[in-house]
Amino acid sequence: MVELKNVSVTYESTGVEALSDVSLKVEDGEFAFVIGRSGSGKSTLIKLLMKELDANKGEVYVNGYDLIKLKKRKVPEFRRTIGVVFQDYRLIENMTVYENIAFVLRVIDAPRKQIRKRVPYVMSLVGLQDKADCYPSELSGGEQQRCALARALVNDPALLIADEPTGNVDPELAYELVELLQGINACGTTILMVTHAHEMVRHFGGRIINISEGEVVFDEVIGGAEVEAQ
Amino acid sequence: MKLSSFRYLVGQGFDNVWKNRVMAFASFCVLLVSLLLVGISVLFYVNINAIIGGIEDKNEVIIYLLDDTSDERIGEIGETLKAMNNVSSVTLYTREEAFADLKANMSDYTEVFDSLGDDNPLPDAFRIRVADISRMSETLKATEQIAGVDYVSSPDSFVELLTETRRIITIVASAIIIALLIVSMVIISNTTRASVFSRRREISIMQSVGATKGFIRFPFFIEGMITGFLAGCFATLLTWFSYDSLVNLLGRFDVLSTIGFGNVIPYSKIGTFVTLAYVIAGSLIGAIGSVLSTRVHLKYRAANM
Ligand SMILES: Nc1ncnc2c1ncn2[C@@H]1O[C@H](COP(=O)(O)OP(=O)(O)OP(=O)(O)O)[C@@H](O)[C@H]1O
Ligand SMILES: [Mg+2]
Repeated sequence: MVELKNVSVTYESTGVEALSDVSLKVEDGEFAFVIGRSGSGKSTLIKLLMKELDANKGEVYVNGYDLIKLKKRKVPEFRRTIGVVFQDYRLIENMTVYENIAFVLRVIDAPRKQIRKRVPYVMSLVGLQDKADCYPSELSGGEQQRCALARALVNDPALLIADEPTGNVDPELAYELVELLQGINACGTTILMVTHAHEMVRHFGGRIINISEGEVVFDEVIGGAEVEAQ
Repeated sequence: MKLSSFRYLVGQGFDNVWKNRVMAFASFCVLLVSLLLVGISVLFYVNINAIIGGIEDKNEVIIYLLDDTSDERIGEIGETLKAMNNVSSVTLYTREEAFADLKANMSDYTEVFDSLGDDNPLPDAFRIRVADISRMSETLKATEQIAGVDYVSSPDSFVELLTETRRIITIVASAIIIALLIVSMVIISNTTRASVFSRRREISIMQSVGATKGFIRFPFFIEGMITGFLAGCFATLLTWFSYDSLVNLLGRFDVLSTIGFGNVIPYSKIGTFVTLAYVIAGSLIGAIGSVLSTRVHLKYRAANM
């Protein structure tokens, strides 16, 4: 569950107010698309939700953690309950695809048996089963993006936050990946997905949150295929 | 932490040495040079001390007795000397022995001694050694007071020179060693910091998927320890080789041994200690330096990327 109450975030270095007075609630098991123009504050929202940024004002709750009050040493524990696909992938350069994904499980002290089963499984979900021993620099942009998605999924998080997880793949694969996410969502994972692909959003429908200049300007559930552009 | 995780992290430490070999090599070199600088200074100091100590041990005071001292009185004087608390050894050196030694030492000048015939101009004497060289003059004054003693010859000013030299060397050596330690630590922490800086992204990614500080640091610890351990081993080999060669070289000049270089400590005596000191110091400094340097980047927030 995600809840924001009157949250504002200002980047100290530039003084840019990237989110202003945002209130938002995403229930357990929901699937929501987050759309908005470039620079509108979508990535800022994601950084806020994983406590990479702190709000200057307001309250933030994620998966039962009060992020404003969360102690530093509790941050790792909290982050293990969410899976994040970053806009810039953030893969570790000197680890193979397999190791990048397995790392998340190693962090939580998962048994080796489980790692050996689970990692190949999520790789096959995103179609990377043949790339296990490749380093990120040996992958295409889309493959890196899918690796990032697999890493976010491997730990079966309660909440999946994905920053444009389909931005670098062909439309067909993008649709497949969203269908994959919908399947995961059907198993109970809450999903927040940032995207620029309005066509696709229209196709799938569901809850749509539109952010513009740091404010939520539209937040409604719409039916698939008949949605009008915001 | 589970055993499997432990093994994983140790393995990561080993892998990282190879993956970051350029930086690891830089740290290795810096550590090696630092260890050698400090180690060699310490060895120099220890040896100079041993050499001076050797010269001091040769301190010998000759107590000349009055010409007409009876044998009985000589015996008494011997006992008195032995009873003194700063005197470690007392040997009687009769005028006959002295004359024979003199003749032997100066065999080139036999005519001179022939002209003397059996007329021995030398007095009876005692040779004594003092235990604590810094209390030498005090002890000498006391021996001069004994009845039957003519005069006392000693390397008095030489002794003072030695004591003074030793004091100055101790001060200078300590200062140099401390300075070198500080310089080494600064260089080491800068090198490790640079090496970690280049891995800032990696660290922040690990944090963003929920890795704890300990989990991230552990491989760094192992990595630093391996680098330090290797530097320690190399320092040992280099020191061993150069030390032995130097000792051999010095051993070839007999002159040197007469002025105390015979007291240079052979490597076999200190080898174990030197090895342990290098390896332990290297591993510890490497590991701690590596872990400390991650602190800067281990804020819970990722660097803005
Ligand atoms: N690290 C930063 N320091 C200062 N300002 C920042 C930083 N990151 C983002 N901003 C600013 O905050 C605003 C929102 O940025 P954000 O990255 O959230 O946009 P976005 O909606 O994700 O855009 P895009 O669709 O292009 O990814 C922008 O004006 C941006 O310039
Ligand atoms: Mg963005």
